[in-house]
Amino acid sequence: MRGVFLIGDPMDILAQLVVSGISVGMIYAVIAFGYQLTFATSKTLNFGQGEALMIGALVGLTTINFLIGQAIGTFWAYLLMLPVVLVFGLAQGAFVEWLGVRQAIRTKSEAGWIMATIALGIIFKNLAENIWGRDPLKFPSPLPEAALQIGPVRMQPMEIAIIVGALLLMAAVEVFNRRSIFGKAVVATANDRDAAGLMGINTSRVITFSYALSSLSAAFAGVLVAPVTLTGAAMGAVLGLKAFAVAIIGGLSSGVGAIVGGLMLGIVETLTGFYISTGYKDVPGLVLLLLVLSLKPSGLFGQAAIKKV
Amino acid sequence: MKLKTFLVALVASTAMTGAAMAADTIKIGLSGPFTGGSASMGVSMRDGVKLAAEEINKAGGVLGKQIELIERDDEAKNEVGVQVSQELINKEGVVATLGFINTGVALAGQRFYQEAEIPVINNVATGTVISTQFKAPNYVFRTSASDAIQSVMIADEAIKRQGFKKPAILADSTNYGQLGQADLIKALDKLSVKPVATEKFNIGDTDMTAQVLRAKEAGADVILTYGIGPELAQIANAMAKLGWKVPMIGSWTLSMASYIDTAGANGDGAIMPETFIQLASTPKRKAFIEAYQKKYNIDRMPSPVSAAQGYDSVYLLAAAIKQAGSTDGRKIREALENLNTKIEGVVTTYDHPFSATDHEAISPNIPVMGLVKGGRVVPAHDEDVQGDKAVRVKPKA
Repeated sequence: MRGVFLIGDPMDILAQLVVSGISVGMIYAVIAFGYQLTFATSKTLNFGQGEALMIGALVGLTTINFLIGQAIGTFWAYLLMLPVVLVFGLAQGAFVEWLGVRQAIRTKSEAGWIMATIALGIIFKNLAENIWGRDPLKFPSPLPEAALQIGPVRMQPMEIAIIVGALLLMAAVEVFNRRSIFGKAVVATANDRDAAGLMGINTSRVITFSYALSSLSAAFAGVLVAPVTLTGAAMGAVLGLKAFAVAIIGGLSSGVGAIVGGLMLGIVETLTGFYISTGYKDVPGLVLLLLVLSLKPSGLFGQAAIKKV
Repeated sequence: MKLKTFLVALVASTAMTGAAMAADTIKIGLSGPFTGGSASMGVSMRDGVKLAAEEINKAGGVLGKQIELIERDDEAKNEVGVQVSQELINKEGVVATLGFINTGVALAGQRFYQEAEIPVINNVATGTVISTQFKAPNYVFRTSASDAIQSVMIADEAIKRQGFKKPAILADSTNYGQLGQADLIKALDKLSVKPVATEKFNIGDTDMTAQVLRAKEAGADVILTYGIGPELAQIANAMAKLGWKVPMIGSWTLSMASYIDTAGANGDGAIMPETFIQLASTPKRKAFIEAYQKKYNIDRMPSPVSAAQGYDSVYLLAAAIKQAGSTDGRKIREALENLNTKIEGVVTTYDHPFSATDHEAISPNIPVMGLVKGGRVVPAHDEDVQGDKAVRVKPKA
């Protein structure tokens, strides 16, 4: 049932909802971007993406708490913590590829990598429960928590940081792929793995690298979102799943698709929560997913794949 | 063949150890979430129970035997709670069980105690139906304030005492939140007030903008809550973000450490019913708080209510076993229903707390309103806890 809306200006409310939706959506986008990275090079996905986010956030928590303990201010501690988390993400992704995916690709197994990445995700979750416990933990916020008034909209500084940080990360990866020689190898592998291999590109190493990058973006998303939520072993499950829906909506072969899909899902969720009912907040996202799957199965920005048999 | 012999030997030996152990100690089960989102309540309850059991054991135990606590983590999950209940009953052979923090777990798990005719005292879970799930002879007792009591207190505080007219309800989607919301709507209805908005959120939700904006736009002048700590903190944070501050009044979970710590300054001013506040208002309470702080080496108890109710539940059970003169479940139940000794607990003084038809030790007059202030819970209205009101006792039936 709709309440009687008489207090705020309807346009201001809409703006507030859209802005909140954007910051939620950008997190989905970064994780979905990670799905897209590995799919482009290897046509496989890391289903433990949510867990990569979670364990990245927890490693970040331990690091930042250690740095704060060394009498470093929260803001600088947060910045110093970022490289640690990014390197950890790289290593974690490479590990997942080495243990769970490489063999499946070599033997052209269709289901092997699915089971292996899900299994590794569960193992990481249990590991986190044993190291950090099962309690949700508070992540120190590097920015002041008081909200800023920007035009008609109020935002927490950290929400702005999420949007900016997510865009920066995705831009950095794109620039790297287009400009650097190694990035060009990634693009070549994504376009045609066999041809790239014949040109002397070590495609197996490129795939490992794409997994590493994929977990890096998940870990980065983890430490971006952690200051506004709580950090804990269970934080990855919902985010990983929603980001997967975003990746499907946007198209698994498109980086832009991840951003557009993420924004769509985030905004639709908050709008539904307000204008229809908070009890049905999660439904439209799934309806959107079903619609895209039935009308344009390769996603809004995806290229239709031709599978030769 | 070999395997069969081995199994027979194994069963026989376990049975013998079981019997041998039973002769030395009185086994009492302890079931609660010691990990996860409601762990602060579970751990405080466990620590309160352990403290009481230790004191009783030091004073010679019960029926000349020592109390042995068998702790199990039910992880706040219904299905784990069921496993724990069966294990405590069938494998450990407990004479009674204390615990249950989560209403869903209690409803799923206590059925096995009822069937086995073993008493269980709910010392934290608040769902109204818990104590009336079974007809007499009912083996389920409670030492916490039920949601029926809490929801009326919340409604009275908001409408009668503070004069608010347009409450909005924000409740989570669990058994706890939805049953509590129903109780709350009923309590408001008795005061002829209809909530201007009724909003829902899920465990793990991190963005409460939509819920809070709806309440705001509906013109709410107070927010009534039924949820647990982390999400309640997100509500307080969302209000601060939107620059809209109305009082938050809700169930006792607003006193959870996870709410107070995560919401920080945004959480100040929240009001909730409490059976116990960490305040040395009587010698008994002073001794309890000091013993707890010393034993667990802390200053602020994570969940004082859970600790106090857990502590008291042990003394009630011990008195019943003593009066029954046996560890037979049926006799303990009968003793609990007609407890002749007056027990001075930390929550209240228990004088015939239970009867055959009433299994609630806490009556509506016992809890008082607490207030979050500077990271702690203090009495919301000092006059509620002064003088002869410091110890509030259940009226005689």
